[in-house]
Amino acid sequence: MITVFSNLIHRVFTHLFRSKRNIKIGLYGPPNGGKTTLANRICIDWIGEEMGTVSHIPHETREVQLKDQIIIRSGKKELLFTLVDTPGIATKIDYEDFVKAGMPSKIAKKRAKEATRGVIDAIKWLDDMDAVIVVLDSTKDPYSQVNITIIGNLEARRTPMLIVANKTDLRKANIKKIQAAFPQYEVIPVAAKYGTNIEKLYEALFKIT
Amino acid sequence: MPHQCVRCNTFYEDKAEEVLKGCPCGGKLFFFIKKEKLDRIRELSANLTETEKDQIEQDVMEIIGEQEEHEPVVLDLETIRIMKPGTYELDLVQMMKNEPLIYKVDEGKYVIDLIRSFGGKKK
Repeated sequence: MITVFSNLIHRVFTHLFRSKRNIKIGLYGPPNGGKTTLANRICIDWIGEEMGTVSHIPHETREVQLKDQIIIRSGKKELLFTLVDTPGIATKIDYEDFVKAGMPSKIAKKRAKEATRGVIDAIKWLDDMDAVIVVLDSTKDPYSQVNITIIGNLEARRTPMLIVANKTDLRKANIKKIQAAFPQYEVIPVAAKYGTNIEKLYEALFKIT
Repeated sequence: MPHQCVRCNTFYEDKAEEVLKGCPCGGKLFFFIKKEKLDRIRELSANLTETEKDQIEQDVMEIIGEQEEHEPVVLDLETIRIMKPGTYELDLVQMMKNEPLIYKVDEGKYVIDLIRSFGGKKK
């Protein structure tokens, strides 16, 4: 009888601590996939404030950003987590690309340097992630070195992950191509800018955490 | 594996005193190069101007978050290639292996894994 009672207490406490554990969910992906737009959407939906600034020029997010104590709810379930928005991961960062986008050379070089440091930081943070949302631009070819390296590495680490095919509001969006590229993972099509299909992402988060 | 002083282009072998203490020219940043890539790197550094070399040195120190410039730093060019100031090529596969990409020479310790130890993390 004592053993049964003790087991019951243990199970209740384990459940309580598991459900209240503050986990870290990271947003990873190539530059301009919409990681910060998605982070802002999640933050606005659940805590009523934005997380960071967005830009059409790549590498706008050059430092890892955190938002603590986000609680999302689905029915009776609750998920408490820290959202980690990371700088875009790239294999080449060239200030001349920023100059072409209208930036003065000196500022462009500084941006390139900070973006490089951002990639190193983003990779360092991988060790701390409990789950990862890989954010891909659904108008772009998913078979890129960056995408394959990130997803392959997460797979090797056995980090739970799901893939968001973002920008589905754009005419060139091709969700099937992303699904075909990474068939072993759940691909959630969303338009983070407008919140389209975002509830599917929230449901999926409960499955991977 | 040779090391090249970014400032004066001089090559030094592994564990050379100059790499541990700094190059006689005053340079504290070295490129770490595999022997088979030597020719390419020689060509690359020959094309850099003095101003560009200074800029690269400064940029690397900032990228790795190095505050003090007294201790020499060795950058693994296999992982981060700096073609010229503002242009970087990154080997993601290598970076994600958790191997050190920047080796800091410090108090007789030849290699420190800065990927794990350099700051700014964990709030």
